[in-house]
Amino acid sequence: MEAVLTQHLDPAAPLGLEAYRGVGGYRSLAAAFDLKPEAIIKTVEAANLRGRGGAGFSCGVKWRLRGVDAAKPRYLVCNLDESEPGTFKDRHLLYGGPHQIIEAVIVAAYALQSERAFIFVRGEYATGGNGLKRALKEAEAAGLVGANIGGSGFDLQIDVHLSAGRYICGEGSAQINALEGRRPNPRHKIPRTSIKGLWGQPTTTNNVETLVNVPHILLNGADWFRDLGINGGCGSKLYGVSGKVQHPGLFELPTGTTARELIFDHAGGLAEGRSLLGFLPGGASTAFLLPEHLDVPMDFDPVAKAGSRLGTGGIIVLDDTTCPVAVALNLMRFFARESCGFCTPCRDGLPYLAQILAAIAAGEGQVEDLALLEDLCEKIAPQSFCAFAPGAVMPLTSSLQCFREHYAQHIATGRCPFGKANEGGL
Amino acid sequence: MGTIRIDGRDIPFEEGDNVLKAALAAGVKIPHFCYHHALGSLGACRLCAVEITPKETNKAPQVVMACLEPAKDGLQVCVSAAAARRAREGVIELLMTNHPHDCPVCDEGGECHLQEMTVDCGPPYRRYRGRKRTFPNQYLGPLVHHEMNRCITCYRCTRFYRDYAVGDDLGAMRLRNEVYFGRFQDGPLDSPFAGNLVEVCPTGVFTDAVFRQRFTRVWDLKTAPSICPHCSVGCNTLPGARDGTLRRVRNRHHPEINRWFLCDRGRYGHQYSEHTARSLLPRIAGASISYRNALTSAAEHIKTAGDRLGGLGSAREDLEGNALLRALMHKLDGAYAAFSDPALESAMAAAIVQRQGTAGASSLAKLASLAEMEQADAALIVGDLTGHAPMMDLALRQAYRRGAPLAVLHSTPAPLARFAVTALTVSPREMGARLSRLSELVADPSAASSTQEAALADIAARLTAARRPLVAGVVETLAAPEIVALAQLAMALDPSARLVYALPGPNAYGAALLAPAGSATAVLEAVEAGRIQTLIVAGNDPLGDARLGPRWRAACQRLDALIVLDCVATATAQAADILLPVAAWAERGGTFVNYEGRAQGFAPVFQRPEPLPTTADVIADLAQALDLALPDVTAALSDAIPGYQAPIPGTLGSPIPVSPLPAHIDVATRPESGPWQAALTTWYGDDPLASFAPALMELAPAPAARIAPAAASNAGIEDGARVMLRGPAGALALSVQLDSGVAMDTIALARATLVQLGVGHGDPLDLEQIP
Repeated sequence: MEAVLTQHLDPAAPLGLEAYRGVGGYRSLAAAFDLKPEAIIKTVEAANLRGRGGAGFSCGVKWRLRGVDAAKPRYLVCNLDESEPGTFKDRHLLYGGPHQIIEAVIVAAYALQSERAFIFVRGEYATGGNGLKRALKEAEAAGLVGANIGGSGFDLQIDVHLSAGRYICGEGSAQINALEGRRPNPRHKIPRTSIKGLWGQPTTTNNVETLVNVPHILLNGADWFRDLGINGGCGSKLYGVSGKVQHPGLFELPTGTTARELIFDHAGGLAEGRSLLGFLPGGASTAFLLPEHLDVPMDFDPVAKAGSRLGTGGIIVLDDTTCPVAVALNLMRFFARESCGFCTPCRDGLPYLAQILAAIAAGEGQVEDLALLEDLCEKIAPQSFCAFAPGAVMPLTSSLQCFREHYAQHIATGRCPFGKANEGGL
Repeated sequence: MGTIRIDGRDIPFEEGDNVLKAALAAGVKIPHFCYHHALGSLGACRLCAVEITPKETNKAPQVVMACLEPAKDGLQVCVSAAAARRAREGVIELLMTNHPHDCPVCDEGGECHLQEMTVDCGPPYRRYRGRKRTFPNQYLGPLVHHEMNRCITCYRCTRFYRDYAVGDDLGAMRLRNEVYFGRFQDGPLDSPFAGNLVEVCPTGVFTDAVFRQRFTRVWDLKTAPSICPHCSVGCNTLPGARDGTLRRVRNRHHPEINRWFLCDRGRYGHQYSEHTARSLLPRIAGASISYRNALTSAAEHIKTAGDRLGGLGSAREDLEGNALLRALMHKLDGAYAAFSDPALESAMAAAIVQRQGTAGASSLAKLASLAEMEQADAALIVGDLTGHAPMMDLALRQAYRRGAPLAVLHSTPAPLARFAVTALTVSPREMGARLSRLSELVADPSAASSTQEAALADIAARLTAARRPLVAGVVETLAAPEIVALAQLAMALDPSARLVYALPGPNAYGAALLAPAGSATAVLEAVEAGRIQTLIVAGNDPLGDARLGPRWRAACQRLDALIVLDCVATATAQAADILLPVAAWAERGGTFVNYEGRAQGFAPVFQRPEPLPTTADVIADLAQALDLALPDVTAALSDAIPGYQAPIPGTLGSPIPVSPLPAHIDVATRPESGPWQAALTTWYGDDPLASFAPALMELAPAPAARIAPAAASNAGIEDGARVMLRGPAGALALSVQLDSGVAMDTIALARATLVQLGVGHGDPLDLEQIP
């Protein structure tokens, strides 16, 4: 498959406005303005573009359900607060070609008839965020953003917001609180942010990778997009592979590419003499998959069927020298640190889990600890306020299932067989 | 509106209720932390897990948070379900991983919500082996003690402080299990309502710093339903005493008045009754003497005086004391008054006439409880409500939060101005004209003549457009005609408009009903003319009056005997020939009539080791010593207020029967001379009793002459400059503090400073720069 999203990306020298136009950039604006907004939404729905932030919800359906008669003003938020461990796809989009993002936001905002859009950029991506701000200025100067874009009668103001916050700011409703200048605690799901979001107005939040697909769908059609995928998938997908592989990296491939192809063909496979212990398919907050799952297509439904989540598509690979207990501890420390502190199960539960894992990793575990971990995971996940804690316990729950003998060995021998008690496993 | 079924019981609910609210209202217990009646649902603690069964039979029961689950007709809720119990147990276990096991030394012990919930829901054992998280604590001022390690992160404190009371110097900081509730840096909390943190906090993070100075376990406290004596609102309180001393005051829920909260004056002002300067033994000419001897001596003076006798009751004396003093005066042909300042008496009479109508006329404008004030959709506030009735301020903050536009006309800094759409500074002298003009603009909005009137026209327009407008005024800083003007303004608005006056004392309403118009002038002039030889003062401080103090002091020189009944060491008490200490409010039972005209009874909470009589007791004893057949309190009250029935302490109180006052109001006009005028600036801790409360007084603003920046620059005065102020009673050097909350040509001064100068609110004052 020819690269679609990454074709003109170059983090070393991202294209300026003229150069981007030279390779066909901003062509989708004219195409969009020729259409009724509802027609664009219909096309996106027909293309079966699913949310690339990790949830996999149909973008077209989300837009349609927002409703044409939603109260005004309506807001669009482009979520570029990529903070998931093992995930670096949005960073590439940001640093490699900011104009592609702006073009996508304009088209999406037109489809949703939003008069104001926010691009929420992870704080650590400041360099890329500043590049995006410069690109936005260029676009504004060229009349691509602002009042009556290209004589279409459509007005749009775009704001690039560099996050002052942390991981939880990537959660849609927490992000809205952050934009409003509040503590980034997630909000209660009723009413939905699509009805009452930013400053109480209808707000649509999309991941940046989702949005950058939209101009291409518009220019090439829904069928073209569906045909890009393989093994039942639709469109192209940015996959990342990291961990114990020879050539970690980012790969744009057809949605539905198998893990085997990703790890062994594109990422160069494991080091000489190593064997695969397992892998996280889509960032830290997904369940482990095992070598037996290598041929599962990396798409939302097949991965869910295998017991995990496609998530962000950022694969993290563990080989037979990796201590899975140390990996679980590493992840749990991350989640405990990033909890916003709002609800009890997450705020006090995750550090508790991390404490037990630390004891096991250090050889101080007790036989009852595995049951205790499972008991706590069972209580924490369904009881917490947002999806953060369920995501946080997912790798631990699956790790306890997949690699139980490793835990038992740590407890029985009173030491880490890999000698990696505090090295994060990898 | 419908019913839900909780563990087999049908529970009614109202539109918009959640399961928890409906359950608690019906007395069904569902464990919870972060939910609070006044603060609503949050969904953070996750303790109120219950199991619900969806109507669709094919769906499995589901564990949800009762506080976030909308009540729907026919919803089946199971609190005792195993899955819900397990979830709640998990929450307690997690909260206890960091909560210190310092219960034996914790101030919250005995009323700890966490302890209760742990007993109710928690695991009886402990599995956590890790370290507990620890925090440094902050110094939050003299009223609230901080102990962050005990925090369970329910966010109640910040939701009360920031959201409900609209304060901004306390909040949640940091994240994960290190969320910290405190100030940006150590320092006293700004809010007049900070003490409520002690009650909203379900654990011992925020505790009563005054109570812990002389701590006792709360289960050893003697309590009884009482009424706050610190202003005219009449908040319901629950004082606690031990070993014959008063230790603390907590809120007692009254659904129409204070509900769940108290202001800091009400919570911490009680220290006056333990003040070292308080005299617990009768004194004659400064020397201690037995009660019996003091009584005999007082009786002799009264006998000698014959009808040359005067009795001065008080707005902070209860109904019983005032009524019996009045009865004694009637019996002996003496003169009775309740106010030492005729202007204040007139203002009170005007307020009550406006409130309950003159003889023959029906009630004019409806009064409003605090709960109703919260529902106002526009409000005009005249004066500094925060300094005179702090809980009215809290009620109006709720109206503000609901989007009601507030307008404030003030001569001195008013905290509510911060929330106002329009806040205008108006000097005391101009206030009357401004209110009359506002009335005209309400009647005819197009009459606004100049751009200068645009702000007034805007206020008029907002009040006219409102469906539940509220007009509120502070009686102490308004003259009688201004009080009438305010009422006329309210009457020109929607018929549903409400009118509220903050009155000068917890029983100002009751005292005014007992004192005939003109009696203050009559008593003062009689003392000055020597027509009164013996004056009995009950709970009043004429010698400490700002405007008339000098006159009273001079007049009292002529008295044969000044007999004072009080529980605080006022200037008058100190000058008494015979001082008869009486029980403080928590030490006696009695009745106050609040600003609404609601009579509320309070019960004696405790007795001192040497029990002190109430004012009514002392007067009854005096009558006995004089061999007089004085009616008892009940008879004296029914005589003074026909149809009066004593309200029972602990009930919601009862409206005082309408007893029309004469329409004639003695109007004292404000003197016009001089470029500068004095204005009374109070703060929330200021009242005659609370000014003897040491912890609260630590927060009192330093004395200064507060002047508007523009007025100062006109006069060539700089910020911080020293000025000499001269009034009838003396001169005083003060530093100037520029404050844009002060009106032009006005010098805002604290009550104590006004007393030293001998000037009242609106009186002319000389200012001279000290080079």
